[in-house]
Amino acid sequence: MEQKIKNLISRLSAPDVDFADIRITFTDDESIYFENGNLRGYGSSMGSPAIGIRVLINGCWGFAGSKDLSDATIDRLIKTARGNAMQGSKFQKEAVSFPALDPTVAEYHHTPEINPFTMPKAEKLDFLSQLATAIKPAGKIVHSYVEAEFNRQERYYANTEGSYSYSTVFNTLPLMSVIAADSGQIQSRTWPGHMSAGRAGFELFYAQKFQENTERIIKEATDLLKAPVITDERADIIIGGGHLALQLHESVGHATEADRIFGQEISYAGKTFIKPWMLGKFQYGSEILNIYSDSTDPRGMGYHPLDDEGVPGKRVEIIKNGILMDQQTSRHIAHKLGLEPSSNMLASYGDDFPLVRMTNLCIAPGQGSLDELIAKTEYGYLLDFTKTWSIDDNRNNFQFTTEIGYKIESGRITGIVKEPTYYGLTPEFWNACDAICGEEEWEYHSTFHCGKGEPGQVMKLSHGVAPARFKNINVSVKM
Amino acid sequence: MQDPILYLKAALDKHPELKYSLDESSWQTDFLRFFQSQTNYNISKDSISLGASLYKGKKSYGFGIDDPTPQKIDIALAQALEIIDSLPEDPHFVDVENDLTLAPAREVVNNITAIPLATKTEILSSLAASAAEAGFELYGTFICNHQTSRLINSNGLDKCSTLSPIYLEIKAVHKDSQITVMETFGGDDFNHFDLEDFRTRLMRKIGYGANPVTDVEPGHYDVILAPRCVAEFVQYLTYGMNARALDQRSSFFEGKIDQKVLSDKLTIVDDPTDPEMINRDYGSGGHIYRPLKLIENGFFRSFICDQYYHKKTGLPKNGNTASCLIVNTGDQDLDTMIAGIERGLYVSSLHYMNFINPKETSLTGLTRDGTFLIENGKITKVVNNLRFTEKIARILDNIQVLENRAYTIPFSDNYGSFDIETVKAPHALIKKFNITSSTKTI
Repeated sequence: MEQKIKNLISRLSAPDVDFADIRITFTDDESIYFENGNLRGYGSSMGSPAIGIRVLINGCWGFAGSKDLSDATIDRLIKTARGNAMQGSKFQKEAVSFPALDPTVAEYHHTPEINPFTMPKAEKLDFLSQLATAIKPAGKIVHSYVEAEFNRQERYYANTEGSYSYSTVFNTLPLMSVIAADSGQIQSRTWPGHMSAGRAGFELFYAQKFQENTERIIKEATDLLKAPVITDERADIIIGGGHLALQLHESVGHATEADRIFGQEISYAGKTFIKPWMLGKFQYGSEILNIYSDSTDPRGMGYHPLDDEGVPGKRVEIIKNGILMDQQTSRHIAHKLGLEPSSNMLASYGDDFPLVRMTNLCIAPGQGSLDELIAKTEYGYLLDFTKTWSIDDNRNNFQFTTEIGYKIESGRITGIVKEPTYYGLTPEFWNACDAICGEEEWEYHSTFHCGKGEPGQVMKLSHGVAPARFKNINVSVKM
Repeated sequence: MQDPILYLKAALDKHPELKYSLDESSWQTDFLRFFQSQTNYNISKDSISLGASLYKGKKSYGFGIDDPTPQKIDIALAQALEIIDSLPEDPHFVDVENDLTLAPAREVVNNITAIPLATKTEILSSLAASAAEAGFELYGTFICNHQTSRLINSNGLDKCSTLSPIYLEIKAVHKDSQITVMETFGGDDFNHFDLEDFRTRLMRKIGYGANPVTDVEPGHYDVILAPRCVAEFVQYLTYGMNARALDQRSSFFEGKIDQKVLSDKLTIVDDPTDPEMINRDYGSGGHIYRPLKLIENGFFRSFICDQYYHKKTGLPKNGNTASCLIVNTGDQDLDTMIAGIERGLYVSSLHYMNFINPKETSLTGLTRDGTFLIENGKITKVVNNLRFTEKIARILDNIQVLENRAYTIPFSDNYGSFDIETVKAPHALIKKFNITSSTKTI
């Protein structure tokens, strides 16, 4: 495959082509879904191929992609990509600026502890079946599911500057959920929340302690049916890691994708409240807040040796001591902003056009354990396990509901509340952060399902966080 | 080479102990994305895929193959046959689809070839010139897809269908203020696209966008929802009309068949035959797709139910997928609706809605792409985008007026194969719409 992709690159090197790149992926996917204790779905797609050819001609991008890697199709793709660029350049005011980069050659192959595709199927199914049985409907529990998605992707990349990379990664998404019902009301609890994925194999089920938490989610879902709602107008809130990962994702991650500054995502994902003048000046959060994009950490799903336009993986300080310092960029956008490219251009599959995407976007740890932070909180709520999320298209006004809230009084958890909902404006919220837990609480939380772009792509990415506290947050949403 | 789906069928027919459902799909898109009134990128993509669901008694296993070849099919089938005996049963599975009704033949134009890139850029250049006179630039997408699919199953079902949807979405954004308005076209017949009518509607909205910007306090407002908003609320509402939601005990409509649940002004049908919409021949599992009344004068009439949930819940099967929703029209034109409001809002589009509790239809979301203040019967100001926290059932029970004209609104399934579907809806005047905060941004 290395020779094939390099031969193709040589065919794209023509006098009128300013830059071209090719990505080829082979993807294995397997999904298993138990509903109410029964196996409802088991399916796979193995070795799915995809190829994409991107060319920059007359300062305009053209792209063509397919699942067919035959020579005849590739000939057609090259012709189509060139035609798309040339026709597109007739509806253009400003040519894409694309400063050259030195070539990089890289290779990376991830090996999970337990390969989900080669482990005994009976062992895999028995484990999941036991989980499904443990949470199947009984008492107030009326619905339950256990879900497993396994993914392996082999990826080749080459460009006309001489960069080349070859990588293989494994990713796993485990999840279980119960719904409790009574008197026309339903409440749900999931484990370990909606950011449950990871760069791992089947071992993730053990690491995330699924077996140890079946009784907990059944009890909490049932108890939520009788739990009160928050009646305070404002309160201090501690956000647990799983949900804080999503708060970070929505109100910092997408906001600092710099293609949004120039309107390249207005038609779908939206804009951003960030303006170029804010770089190096804007107080995005409190002084204890340090946020970085790090595609060099192989523990997260955002690791890569080379991004999808030839930029080596790197760590970039996005927010330092609360000040907005940098952005997630493409080579073109970085040039327009006077920044170094951040290695955030990625395509989900070979036949996708690369976009500015989050990789491993993390909050640097602070100090102390979650128990210590709760003990230092006089009154408030610990919120975790995302239920509802929503943020405006400038990434400024967000509102989240979690599945459960734990009431804190005098430094102790004294009860639970249902559907706790809080909202705020992004800079005010992050400036209200007065405590971040330490290394001992810091871990990656990951998703398979970050949507962006048109045609739509879903990206696998990670957020490293520890629980954090936010002061005087509005928790008064009433319907 | 033999057609992959027939190759797989022939292999499966050697296993009479198996039931199966096969789906072969060939998909193409030509996709122009633009920003700042210029090309962002042009994409052409295609794929051929084969999906298979195999059943042995109550045990099942599925596989998908991209770019299927006999060799890939042989490997996938061998793996499936090896594993299926070892799987636990699904006690609720009874049979694959048995509706063999064929849809009437119809000619589908391939819009990828009918609307070449040169035509798209010519249309966009023309509209961009008009918008530029008011200081606006164009952002959006102009998409044509072409998809053929064939469904075969072990009950003798063998059905082919073709779709070639068009999706044009234009957001006009003011160069300085970032005030945004939107206009769309969707369907499968480009003869219904009237450039001058489109330009008129876009420029009318751009005219609204020339007003000064203001903010409003949270509270309950009389709101005119644009057709896109009505369509989106109705789409979300259909979550609870699905038999699967009922089975999961998360349906708002549980126990409400033939009960009045929404405004008596409202009727919703799922109709795949409307010539102004993207037509569909078959629904889930290959069942014939026929018009289905979901809400009639506020009364809930039907759950959407496929073969599996028909057997599991006992609900009547219809095979609908709520992909062709039509909301009835009313008796006022838009200008009259606006003129009747002393102080209220016009909402053009919605953004990032998510259920808080689907059984209650409670959700939160935001306005986008043009929110306007109405004062004394006129649009007077642009309003920052707003957050609402509401119940869809309450919104649709609070309908005061429906416009006397419906519009075809395209939506894209951005997380799958970029399926495009249309909803037809009019403007709606809603009382006491619950605005819960401002975004402080346009």
